[in-house]
This record gives sequence, structure tokens and C-alpha cells, in this order.
Amino acid sequence: MNALHRKLLRDLLQARFLLLAITAMIAVGITTFVSLRSSFHNLDQAQRSYYTQCRMADFWIDVNKVPLTELPQLAALHGVTEVAGRIRSLANIQLPGVEKPLNVLVISLPAKPTGVLNGAVLKRGQFFTGQRPNEVLVNHAFSQARQLQPGDSFHLVLNQRLQSVVMVGTATSSEFAYLLPPGSFLPDPENFGVVYVSQSFAEEAFDFSGAANQIIGRLSPHDSSRREAVLAGIERLLEPFGVLNVTPLKEQPSHNFLSGEIAGLGAVSAVLPLVFLVVAALIMNILLCRLTRQQRTIVGTLKALGYADLTIFFHFLKFGICVGALGSLLGSLLGHLASTGMTLVYGEFFEFPDLRSQFYWYLHGWGMLISITCSAAGCLQGARSMLLLQPATAMRPEPPPQGSRILLERITWIWARLSTPWRMALRGLLRNRFRSAVGIFASAMGSGLLVAGFLMVASTWFLIDFQFFRVSRSDLDLVFKSTQDDQALEQLRALPGVDRAEPLFHLGCTLVHEHHHYKAAITGLSRVAQLTIPRNATGAILPVPESGLVLTQRLADILHVTAGDRVILIPTKGPRRPVAARVTTISSSFLGLAAYAQIDYLSQLIGEEFAMNSAQLQIHPGRHDELHAALKTFSTIESFLSRRDMIANLMGTILAQLWIGIGFIVGFAGILFFGSIFNNSLVNLSERECEVATLIALGYSPWQIGHLFLRETVVTNLLGTALGVPFGYLLMRLASLAYAENNLIRLPVVQAAWVWYATGLLSLLFMAVAHASVQRRIVRMNYLEALKVRE
Amino acid sequence: MESVSADNTSSVLLALKDIHRTFPMGDVPVKALREVSLEIQRGELLAVVGPSGSGKSTILNLIGGLDQPTAGTIWYDGRELSSCSPAELTAYRREEVGFIFQFYNLVPNLTARENILISTEISSHPLDVDEVLELVGLSDRLHHFPAQLSGGEQQRVAIARAIAKNPQLLLCDEPTGALDSRTGQRVLQLLIDLKQQLSKTIVVITHNSALAQVADRIVYLRSGTIFSVDVNPHPAAPEEISW
Repeated sequence: MNALHRKLLRDLLQARFLLLAITAMIAVGITTFVSLRSSFHNLDQAQRSYYTQCRMADFWIDVNKVPLTELPQLAALHGVTEVAGRIRSLANIQLPGVEKPLNVLVISLPAKPTGVLNGAVLKRGQFFTGQRPNEVLVNHAFSQARQLQPGDSFHLVLNQRLQSVVMVGTATSSEFAYLLPPGSFLPDPENFGVVYVSQSFAEEAFDFSGAANQIIGRLSPHDSSRREAVLAGIERLLEPFGVLNVTPLKEQPSHNFLSGEIAGLGAVSAVLPLVFLVVAALIMNILLCRLTRQQRTIVGTLKALGYADLTIFFHFLKFGICVGALGSLLGSLLGHLASTGMTLVYGEFFEFPDLRSQFYWYLHGWGMLISITCSAAGCLQGARSMLLLQPATAMRPEPPPQGSRILLERITWIWARLSTPWRMALRGLLRNRFRSAVGIFASAMGSGLLVAGFLMVASTWFLIDFQFFRVSRSDLDLVFKSTQDDQALEQLRALPGVDRAEPLFHLGCTLVHEHHHYKAAITGLSRVAQLTIPRNATGAILPVPESGLVLTQRLADILHVTAGDRVILIPTKGPRRPVAARVTTISSSFLGLAAYAQIDYLSQLIGEEFAMNSAQLQIHPGRHDELHAALKTFSTIESFLSRRDMIANLMGTILAQLWIGIGFIVGFAGILFFGSIFNNSLVNLSERECEVATLIALGYSPWQIGHLFLRETVVTNLLGTALGVPFGYLLMRLASLAYAENNLIRLPVVQAAWVWYATGLLSLLFMAVAHASVQRRIVRMNYLEALKVRE
Repeated sequence: MESVSADNTSSVLLALKDIHRTFPMGDVPVKALREVSLEIQRGELLAVVGPSGSGKSTILNLIGGLDQPTAGTIWYDGRELSSCSPAELTAYRREEVGFIFQFYNLVPNLTARENILISTEISSHPLDVDEVLELVGLSDRLHHFPAQLSGGEQQRVAIARAIAKNPQLLLCDEPTGALDSRTGQRVLQLLIDLKQQLSKTIVVITHNSALAQVADRIVYLRSGTIFSVDVNPHPAAPEEISW
């Protein structure tokens, strides 16, 4: 190592605390880049290979019942490459030793379920052996949560009949990578799973010989622009068989959530690292400009000794290269660990046959290049000033900084009221405009990060409260196999532990307005419904009209309707006569696309006086088991949704995620705040060492001097924090906009007072911690040495 | 770099001819040097004496290749310095000149030995660092940092740094300016010894005319012009002078 490198090494060690703060910022930038980008690739690759392995369909169409003989006609449509029919139904599963009602999705598979559309990947055991007709496969996550082993037997209630089945293996399928229970946005493997049965068994159990109730298929990849038209063509052909629902791939819940997560990772991995790297480069710039000014005479001496200008230029550039390299190495290591952790967490939510955290060399290479470039770019100005410095000029001390009046001094009525320390602070801020701007920018980024993160928390919290505690308020939802009359409701009300029972009638309809149409289920509510209450964005209860509809905002947007407009309803059941209905109110909803009407009004549409196919129960606390036992005798019930369990799972998982999320956001913001304040204050202090020493000589205490610096910090920090609030709000708005056209989930933008208070308090806390370090330096400063400084 | 082969064997190592150096200071140009002509002989110890602002440092910077004249020419060993490119001046400083500064200008975070290495590592014919340290009497202080050395010791390191790369010309800017009288005498003696043992040409600039008594010739500067050049046939020994 030559002497110049030794000098570099010791300079680095001398400025280690300042450089460490910058290194930490770079490390966080690269950690976020590597971890988010690696997770992005892990998920993206897993999704691609899973879709190929399972031959993922491009569309799903639910019908009442369609003969399989119709399939060739569908497959012959231009733009369709493959179709298949299968039987799909929600069913009640009865596991030995489990009292509470559990639901599963039953899906039929061909006897040899490989190479078929939406095929299954075997995880344990074997596929159907053909030895027993009642062999089933269970999705892997549910089998693990319920500790089911190949060879276990249990019961399914299929088509109102209790069927005994034998589990031969566990499997996963790409269409259920993110398996959502009805009405939720989080998987709940303990309470909801998929059971695959053989096609022949399903046909017999559901009385569906030679028929299916779901058509799945693939479209030609060359006709992507015609996809909607092709799907409309299929829908037209299937119309006589009662089309309930058409789901293109982009709206398929598992695909939608998985792709949304991948896209989110891609977007965040492009923005978040940039924030840290830009702030680090700016602070590096301030630090190195100061360092080069301090080393002006040394540079002059080196030039006098015969060192070339470029050698000196690169000597200072190496500061950035070293800091960038160290930050990137740390970031690479932490990023890889974080991506491994993130991929493990993703494995908890998304079910893949083989989700692995891989090491992407090129990402680490990019990380190194980006961090070194940013850090070296931060050094450019300082290094360039030394490149341009004439040797003879370098030998002379730097001229003292210009001391002129700042703009504020002209506003005398303000200036006259300011104390001397405040005047010093304001002069310091305005004379070092670039440094002040960097301080404000870094605080704004930190505060923006806090605001955006906290608003995301507030949004999630609001969504859960709105959807699960204010709009839907039942403990248990039941779905009947077929339409029931009010007798069934009376029976439910008479069950032990039922405090309240309300009927629901879900009617699949095509809603048409002008040339816009959409298939949606309209929920019929009783006049006095308490367990489902449509509300507007402020939470106010919206009455359901005697005739007419309440549409949720997203559905109204799709149909281009506003309150007062008329839409045409074409029911998928009954006589299917088109009826005009007025949209009386637009309600808010952040999950799915709901529409509400009064149950009597909906019943009349299918020619009935009263019809219900679902019910909601409110259960007396502590009497759940009693009710569950009683419900087992109800063979008319197709499936149960224990909202109580679902909410408990949701709250537990979301709370854990939110706390981890808050921890990261606060940590990241803290690094931005601390690094910026610490560096700016120490550079300021080193520039004013002589002034500080003089003040000490004049009788100022170190605390009084600390307060001078604190004033500058307070101004930059508070200004930055205030500017960061709209920035963070904007980030949240952008995140919300990304979900604005999602039919499954949307993010509300909530203005919660605690977000502003928490951001302000944390900003003050970070400032206090950073200033404490600066104050320590002031107390420990060697004033006598500082007084001797020749400059 | 223009070359004049006839001068290569001359006893003149460095020549300044009609040198002007003007610094723009706001609207008023300040003439730091006016029509300065001077020849420096090989192996001589030349003292440049003058009050503050007389142009001493400007001369030193010009002959050290740190600055260029506004007008006039500078010749070094038959080569014209005043028309050199920055890269050529860098090479000149690297190979031919050793600087000794009033405030030593040592790199604070390098040890005494490393401060010398920083100079020898870039020159083509350096002397042995440890021998040079021994020559300046600092063999036992080579691993000390500047802050751990006295002023005299620091100046000796600076001298060692200057001579270690084996230059023809040593340029000393107030070499005793920051030292007490006794230490200053030792430093001067060291310079004289180096001149005699290593046949170096030494230019010392000082505002102290007493100090100049050790030189072979003394150039007096006043307001940017040479006032007189005195030959000193009997240079004084450092211990004979005081300031």
C-alpha cells in the first residue's frame, strides 16, 4: 500500500462516524434494492414456472350446468386454443375431532391430472389410484394446517349428501397460489382449503353426469387485443346454460393478488433505494467538499511534491468508491438475507411447489455499480475543486467566507425581533444554501417515508374496520345449496346460541348501462338488516330502497352510472327477463364489487315472493360450539363462513405484518434523519471550530453553543418534515391509484390525525438523538487547538 | 518543453529573465513582480530577503513550477519552464524540486517515514528513506505522527521529504519561521550540510536578513523588484547568527 493510500485509509478512519452514517444509508439503499428485486425475481420466476407446470388457464366461466358436449363448439371459436369443463363447488368438510364448520372448495380433476388445464402438482402421496372412487387430493397448506396425512379419511357434504372420502395425497395448483376464503383478502389455510376429487366421482356426487359448472380455457397468445371479444363470444354460446360469472386471468383472485404483489415489488424496488442513494450522494457531497477544503494545504503540498492533478482527483474520488463499496457489500449481504426472509414469508401466504430464494449475481453487481456511482458522484464536486486548484493558490490559506447581509435582514421588523443566536442560525442556514437544502430534502424524504408508511397502516386498518366491522357484522355466514323460503330462516332463529339471523339472497345478474355491462351478484338484504349495512365513505349508513339498487363505487365506475341513473338487470336465474332498475345510492367498498337491493325486490325478479340462498348469524358469546353441533344436522347448507375465525386470522396476520412494516419504516426514516442531521451539523461544526472556540473564550457554555447549532437543525428538520407530509401523502395516493381499477381490492386514502402526530414526534426524536451526538462533540472539542488554527 | 543544449553544462541551474507577475485583485491588478532577472548557480545557497509583500513567495512559486509568470521567461537546466504545460510542470516538481515550507505542511495522518514515502514513491531516483531519516537525525522518530513531533523535528521531516526524492533544487520558504532560535540554527546547519554533502542548490526565502548571512549570495527584494544582489564570500555559521 503506497503512502497516498495509507493517507486515504486514515482519512477514512478519521471521518468514520460521518462516513458510517453515509455507509448506513447506502447499505439500506442497496439492501432494499437487492432484497426487493431478488424477491421480485423469486416470485416472478416461481409464478412463470408454476403457470407453465400447471398449464394455467386464461379464463374461468361459472355456469349453472353445461353438457360437456358443448366443449368442441367453444374450442372451435377463433382465438380459443383449449377449453375444459369441470365441477367446482364450495362444500362443508367434516374432519375427525373438529367441531366447528369448515369450508373447502371442491374441484374435479381428470383421473390423470397431469398435463391438463389448471393441473395439480403432487407434493405428497400420490394422484388418484383408481382403486377407490372416493379418493381425493388436498391442497398442501390446508393438509399441513390440519395435519392430514395420505390415507386419512374424512367427510364432505356434497350436494346435501355426506360423502366419505380418502385422502391419497397433497397437491398444489397455480390457480390457488393465493387461496382466498370467500369474502377475505388473506389466505387462511387452517380454515379454508381445496379438495380435488376425480371427475367421475364429482359427476356422480353432484348429479352432473357428462356436465360441468365451470369452463376453463386458454386463449391464443397472438390475439391478446381481442381477448375481451373472444370471451364475449364464449359467453354468448354459454348463455343458455346460465352464465354466473366470467373471470379473465387478470381478475382471477390468486393471479390478481400475486401479480399485484410482484408489480408492487418492482415499483417499490425502483423508487425506495433511490431515495437513500440520492440522500447519501448529497450528504457525501457536503462532507467531501468540506474535507477537500480542510485538506487544501495538503493538496497544495502534494502538488508541490509533483503529484499530478488527476492523481489527487482520483484520491478524493476513492473516498466515495470506498464508502460506496463498503455500503454495497453490507447492502448485498443484508439484502440477500432480507430476500431470503421475505421469500420465506411469501411462502406463508403464497403456495408454490418450489419457491426458493436465489442469489442473483447480476443484481449484486448492479447494486455495487449503483452504490459506487452514487457515492463517487457525491465526491465529484469536492474532488474537481482540488483538480482545478492551482498549486500556488493551494499553498495559501482559503480566503475567509463572504460575510454579507442575508435577504431576511432587509425585513427589519422581523430581523429586529430576533435574538443574536437566531440571527446566527438563520445566517448560517442561508449562507450555506446547498447544505441547508440537502438537510431539508433528507428530512422531507424521511418524513415522506413515515407518512406514506403510516398512511398505508391507517388505510389497512380502515379497510378492515370498514369491511369487517361496519359493513359486514355477522359471526357466521351460511350458504344454502338451493333457494330457501322463510321457514328455513325461522329454523335458524330457533337454533341454540343464535342471537340474530338475517336472510340474504345473492342473485347473479348482468348489469347493463348504455354499452357497458358487467356480471355481478346482487345481494338482497332484509328491510331491517343489521348484519350487512351498506355505507358511504364517511361511514354513514345508506338505506336500501324498496325498488332499485345500491351500487358500490367501483361497480358504478365500471358501468359509468351515478346515483339516479337506470340500469338493466338480467338475472341468471328464473325467467331471466330484463328489468330496469334505478341506482338510488352509490356506496363505498374496498373489497370486491357489491350491489345491494331489498330481498323482496330481488325475489320478485325471479318470480318468487321470498327467496334466500344465504343467511347471516350473530352468535351469543360462548355458545359457538353448541350452534356448530346443531348446524351439522342441516343438510341444506352447502358451506359455512366463520367470519369470527376469518377476522381473528386476519387481525393476527395483519397486526404482525403491520408491526414489522412500522419497524422497518421507522428504522429507514431514522437512518435518513440521523445521517443527514449528524453529517450536516458536524460539517457545520468543523467549519466553525474557530468561531466556537472564540465563543468559549468569550464565556459561552458548550450547551449554549450546542443550542446555536440546534436552532439550525430545528429549522431544516421542521421545514423538511413539513414538506415530507404532502410528499408522503402523494406516495399513498399513487399506491391507492395503482389499485383504483382493481375489482378485488382497493386502498382507501385515510387522513388519520395520529399519522401527522407520529411523524412529527419521530422527527423530533431523531433530531434529538442526532443532536445529542453533535452536543457530545462540542463538549469534547479541543478549544485550545481550535484557537490555534491558522486559517 | 523547449531545450537549449548549450546551457546544459553551464554553471547556471536556473535563470529568470524579465519576469513579471501580476495578480488580478478585483478591478486593480497587483504587480507582485516587475522585471525580475536572476541567475541561480549550481550548488549555491541563495537567500532571497525582503519584507512581507515584496514578492518572495511569488519568486519561490515561479521557480518551483507552482505558478507561471505573466511575462518573461524562466530557464531551468537549459529548459524553458515558463512555456511548460501543467503536466510538464508536475514532472518538473516531481523530479527536480524539493519544497520546504514554513509550517512544514506534513500530512497529519501519516507517520514521519510515510510522509517521506509519499514523496519518494513518485520520483524516479529517490534516496533511501531510512538513510535520509538518519541524515536528518530522526531515525528514532520514524513511526511518529506529526502531532507527536516537536516543531524542529517536523521541519526536519519536511527537509527529509524534500531531499529524499533527490532533487537538484531545494526551495525553502521561511524554513525557520515557525521555530525557536536554537532549533532554527540546527535546521539551517542541516541545510548547509546537505548542500555540502549532496551538492544541492538551495534557495531560502526569508524576511529575516540575519538569517541570510549563512547564504553564498543574498538577493534583496523590495516591492516586486530586485533591489540588490550581494555576494557573501564568508557565509556565517548558523550558530554565529541569532534572530
